Amino acid sequence: MANLLWLQGGACSGNTMSFLNAEEPSACDLVTDFGINVLWQPSLGLELGDNVKSILEKCISGEIQLDIFVFEGTVINAPDGTGEWNRFCGEPMKNWVKKLCDAAQYVVAIGDCATWGGIPATAPNPSDSEGLQFLKRAKGGALGENFVSKSGLPVINIPGCPAHPDWVTQILVAVASGRGGDLTLDEFQRPKTFFSSFTQTGCTRNMHFAYKVSTTAFGQRKGCLFYDLGCRGPMTHSPCNRILWNRQSSKTRAGMPCLGCTEPEFPFFDLAPGTVFKTQTVMGVPKDLPTGVDKKGYMKLTAAAKNASPAWAEEDIFVV
Amino acid sequence: MSTDTQEEDQGGGVSFEDRYGVTPAEADHDTLLRMIEDMFTEGLKTQLEPFPETDREFSKLLDDLRELDVNDLRQKLIISGWKLSPHGEDEMRCQECMYFLVHKRWCDLPELDLPAEPEWWCRLWRI
Ligand code: SF4
Ligand code: SF4
Ligand code: SF4
Repeated sequence: MANLLWLQGGACSGNTMSFLNAEEPSACDLVTDFGINVLWQPSLGLELGDNVKSILEKCISGEIQLDIFVFEGTVINAPDGTGEWNRFCGEPMKNWVKKLCDAAQYVVAIGDCATWGGIPATAPNPSDSEGLQFLKRAKGGALGENFVSKSGLPVINIPGCPAHPDWVTQILVAVASGRGGDLTLDEFQRPKTFFSSFTQTGCTRNMHFAYKVSTTAFGQRKGCLFYDLGCRGPMTHSPCNRILWNRQSSKTRAGMPCLGCTEPEFPFFDLAPGTVFKTQTVMGVPKDLPTGVDKKGYMKLTAAAKNASPAWAEEDIFVV
Repeated sequence: MSTDTQEEDQGGGVSFEDRYGVTPAEADHDTLLRMIEDMFTEGLKTQLEPFPETDREFSKLLDDLRELDVNDLRQKLIISGWKLSPHGEDEMRCQECMYFLVHKRWCDLPELDLPAEPEWWCRLWRI
């Protein structure tokens, strides 16, 4: 039996909604098959008011063993570092977070807000938000760079806006079943099992990427979304085309560009007008090239690929 | 922004319909190609500069193109800085442009949507 407590800071509840849609395993499987005891969760917990507070206090004192602390949403520091804009059970949420993280065996940050600040931390960041151990790409965050939970691991970051439900439940099962020590994390503390490959890995439009044929409108079957509609698939670490959404699709399969939501800089370019759904270019050349490709090589590759592209690559074919 | 007279005018006061029997919107690939080439032969000057360096500038050109009447081929070519030869030091040309469909010999940028040749260019070029 592993006790799990889930709290929300500056969040839209999107990750809770995503979690409740999990299928392999489902949120119910966590309880019935994998021995997870949900102490409290904002959408599932039955307790209210002082009864919730009492659970939190018992976790902090050790009366209840806190095996997994899940946090969704940003840690809000406004105004003036007090965190008063986000009060919960009688005190700023940021205080609860600090105490619960110190008490927990494992700390799991779910979604971009909890991992690195996400949309709330976008300039001008009015709520003075940050993630648990990062603010965008900078290490530190609410808990500080050197934080490790009782298990010896830093915060396990499962980013996404929202995170895919199965990324969440599979990591929770690994931790609850004593395999937390087997998790390997990348430089942003994301489990490598999910975040070593790219959104582009398994994308059905890869052939159009190779032949440099562009999708020029949302939902088009032809083409790749990189050249015009700002797809960040080649630069974004995610398994979105390996572990499909709703078990059947992904953004790129539906003709919608990847927005790079698992990377610390999301949302890119601080959401300045004209930067969303549009490939950013300088003198006609994309600002962000696929990871590992330089400008000269990219230009040569384009010329060669266009010359070699077959006629069918220009047709509207099914890529779903 | 275009008046009815301008829409139909392929230059010199003669309408596309009078000269080719169809409007640009109705024309097939070869006729459109001829319309474009004829306009350049007859001295059409397009706006080659400035090259849109940022996406804002690029979007502005697209906005201007979207406002045109479907038959205002002349303005389409002028605004996009259309040219029947490669451009600049780097010899930029449709052949490498993202919007060029090499087999269809077509510019697939929705705001242009015209026949194009590999050695042509316009300032909406991107790679
Ligand atoms: S649509 Fe995006 S993810 Fe798919 S091949 Fe193109 S750039 Fe890559
Ligand atoms: S496709 Fe991209 S934006 Fe969409 S969920 Fe995956 S990583 Fe996020
Ligand atoms: S956008 Fe311009 S350069 Fe590109 S294919 Fe069309 S006409 Fe050619």
